[in-house]
Amino acid sequence: MSAVRPVGERSGTASTFPLQLDIDSDTLASCVACGMCLPHCPTYRVTGEESASPRGRIALMRDVAERGEADAAFVEFMDACIQCRGCETACPAGVRYGHMMETTREALASQTSYQPRLRRLAYRALGMPRLLGFGSRLLGLSQRLGLMRLVSLLGRVRPFRQLGAMTASLPRVPVRQAPLTASGDDVWLFTGCVMDAWMRDTHRAVQSVIEATGAGVALPPAGAACCGSLHLHAGLASDTRRLARKVMAALPGEAPILIDSAGCGATMKEYGHLLGTEEARQFAGRVQDVHEWLAARVDELPEGAPTSAPLQIAVQDPCHLRHVQQAHLPVRRVLSRFFDVVELDDDGLCCGAGGAYSQQHPEVAGAVRERKAAAVERTGASVVASANPGCTLHLQAVGLDVRHPLEIVAEHLNGGAPQ
Amino acid sequence: MPSRSAALVGYGRGVTSEDAAADAALLADLRGVLGDRARDNDFERGLYSRDGSIEGSPPAIVCLPDSAAEVAEIVRVCRRHSRPFLARGSGTGLAGGAVPVGRPVVVATSKMDRIVEIDTANRIAWVEPGVLNLDLSRALAPQGFHFAPDPSSQQVCSIGGNIANNSGGPHCLAYGVTTAHIAALEVVLPSGDTTVLGGVEAEPAGLDLRGLFVGSEGTMGIATKAAVRLTSNAPAVRTLLLDFDDVSEGSAAVSAIIAAGLVPSALEMMDQRAIEIVEAFAHAGYPTGAAAVLLVELDGLPGGVEAGVEIVREVAQKHHVGHVRVAADDAERALLWKGRKNAFGAVARIKPDYYLHDTVVPRSKLTEVLEKVYRIADAYGLIAVNVFHAGDGNLHPILAFDRREPGVDERVKAAGRDIVAASIEAGGVLSGEHGIGLEKRDYMGMLFSTHDMYTQDVVRETFDPDGLANPLKIIPTGSRCSDSFHQHVPEGAWV
Repeated sequence: MSAVRPVGERSGTASTFPLQLDIDSDTLASCVACGMCLPHCPTYRVTGEESASPRGRIALMRDVAERGEADAAFVEFMDACIQCRGCETACPAGVRYGHMMETTREALASQTSYQPRLRRLAYRALGMPRLLGFGSRLLGLSQRLGLMRLVSLLGRVRPFRQLGAMTASLPRVPVRQAPLTASGDDVWLFTGCVMDAWMRDTHRAVQSVIEATGAGVALPPAGAACCGSLHLHAGLASDTRRLARKVMAALPGEAPILIDSAGCGATMKEYGHLLGTEEARQFAGRVQDVHEWLAARVDELPEGAPTSAPLQIAVQDPCHLRHVQQAHLPVRRVLSRFFDVVELDDDGLCCGAGGAYSQQHPEVAGAVRERKAAAVERTGASVVASANPGCTLHLQAVGLDVRHPLEIVAEHLNGGAPQ
Repeated sequence: MPSRSAALVGYGRGVTSEDAAADAALLADLRGVLGDRARDNDFERGLYSRDGSIEGSPPAIVCLPDSAAEVAEIVRVCRRHSRPFLARGSGTGLAGGAVPVGRPVVVATSKMDRIVEIDTANRIAWVEPGVLNLDLSRALAPQGFHFAPDPSSQQVCSIGGNIANNSGGPHCLAYGVTTAHIAALEVVLPSGDTTVLGGVEAEPAGLDLRGLFVGSEGTMGIATKAAVRLTSNAPAVRTLLLDFDDVSEGSAAVSAIIAAGLVPSALEMMDQRAIEIVEAFAHAGYPTGAAAVLLVELDGLPGGVEAGVEIVREVAQKHHVGHVRVAADDAERALLWKGRKNAFGAVARIKPDYYLHDTVVPRSKLTEVLEKVYRIADAYGLIAVNVFHAGDGNLHPILAFDRREPGVDERVKAAGRDIVAASIEAGGVLSGEHGIGLEKRDYMGMLFSTHDMYTQDVVRETFDPDGLANPLKIIPTGSRCSDSFHQHVPEGAWV
């Protein structure tokens, strides 16, 4: 673990700046510092450093909230959190760490240069499907034409270093994707931003499994472009609220809204908390992870192709499914109808993806991923199911065969042929 | 008692320019050993100012070594600078053993977390001190073994911390505490030399210095590697939950179960408040209306275990048990234990701070002392929560409070002192398994004569003649001539 540090070199002499942290004193006092969260925190696990633990971060928030000022070290300590919220599941006192971290990031983003202009614009593009689609096709084309090598060369020059690092770890992006076709209005299937631009075939598989129960699927109009999850984690909560209002307007009615990306589902279920309106609370009540909806209808699915022995599948729980939505058991209910489900032995420790985290903190994210890959290896299973696109891409990058649970189910129902 | 923010940022107060210059010279030497793993920024010093207890004051420098060689170098640098040093594991201790006193260097062993070797033939594993207790048992599980001491904090506490405090845990009733499970220790002595105490052979030669080191709370050096004994997993395990309408019936049942000839692997008790907060966290189906529950675990060969279950059932019925719930499977067992093992942290559901004592009383006096604990808490206007190792009479009265209430700290300390006095009066001792550290140091005189304490101090001084290894802990100030650091003791520490 020694090589990994939560952040780079720090000094105690950094200058301070005012920071108003609006976390009330009862919330800050709710942590008794028992330390039960430490082993469930991925960044503590790979660094062994108190500053990279939930207990440590809360102590730092308390300190800054009382003093009304912070310094660069504080920003780095806060930025090093993956926001997996594994600590909340472990916390015997029920400390709402996730909300404290979101408030802290929001304070940093609104009062400091924590989120530079360029990055804010990049986040904004997520809510613009045509721009995102165009950019993705351009990226896919560049990857195929070998132009990315030019970008990585460019990345050796200081001003483009971050761009170089980011593009180096990007997955292969499709250039052309066939559109999805709606089949009814029983449920909405939320398609989102990056996932629709890069992994639409996952949506296609999910849609086919929903339809296999006899339900008709409605697809969202362009307004429901992005749930705002990544913005929320970056401290850009006002962007999330703006996107949330658009999503809510685009998905009217009573039909359940099914989500096949754990990160999006977690955020959309919190629209009520975020917007504080009755309309948002009602909307959030309609949001379900697609596995929650399917688990109640799993017997309505056909048998699928007969197999000699059921395939062994290791389930990797996306943190925002297990720790935020507590909706990891339905995944098993759906998978175990057809397959032999194998558990990892790491108590649902994060894989290191964390939305944009793996791009911004590749060293820590990579060390966290090593632990996950080792846990997968211990199961002996060759296929891993993960219900979140970020985790999938992050784990695929080290050669694991990771697929969305419903892609595996769809393939099985389809007689073994890939969708 | 300093406020938390003072503990974090108050280091600047009362520090002279000479102190600052000494710190800077020390830091330069430690950076020479550790590079940027020697830290002196205010934030991180604040984070290492506390353990799981309620006191705190920042160290001068935090060191994060990665090897035994680095630990030895740190100790040698500290000696050159005549600066105290203090080992720290996961920082979950409850008696202030890892709280810095005298502006020491904190040596955090959390990066030293490798399991070096597992030797099932000799039932020994060599591990580094930062290995977490539960991680070790999980790593051993595929071979059918575990590390027997299982403190409630076992998911996070480190083997190094277990050694320092001679930690116990629910299953130590049958298996014995940490010292019974440590065969040998590689330690860096306060001189900076590295040696091995004890040995993995059946009967190591010479004095049992290993036994002396285990439980010495870092006052005799820093363990850098341990040979731990492996315990084989029992073929059969049964866990029972018994509920009672009356605390005294529950505690009488504890004695009766043991008097009936059984030594359960664990025999735990929780009172009504504990049951409520634990259930709110664990959702394990604990009966929130009951006055007390006993969690009883039996392990061994299947026939013996089943016979034991019947004996427990009969004894409990004589003591008017409400329900006898036998966990149906491993999942249900795990859920019940999850509740029990998270009880301390769950106290935050009542009040944001807690002060936990750890006294041991004769089993026959459990009812009497428990009643006194409730009366003491009432008298000081505090809330007492009881969750403890009933089988060995190891009480853990928790006083829940909110340090933001003015004057509450004096009441908490006074109540704590009264609880310790009541336990000793009943024929008990100061500490079962959490150590003496800072918080119980000044109570040592209640149990030991001046001569006793002097003798203990002479032993310690043999290891650490300069008084640099975790000074001002365990033995009250004044017991030894080398206690020269009190001029550096921060405001609010208990000296």
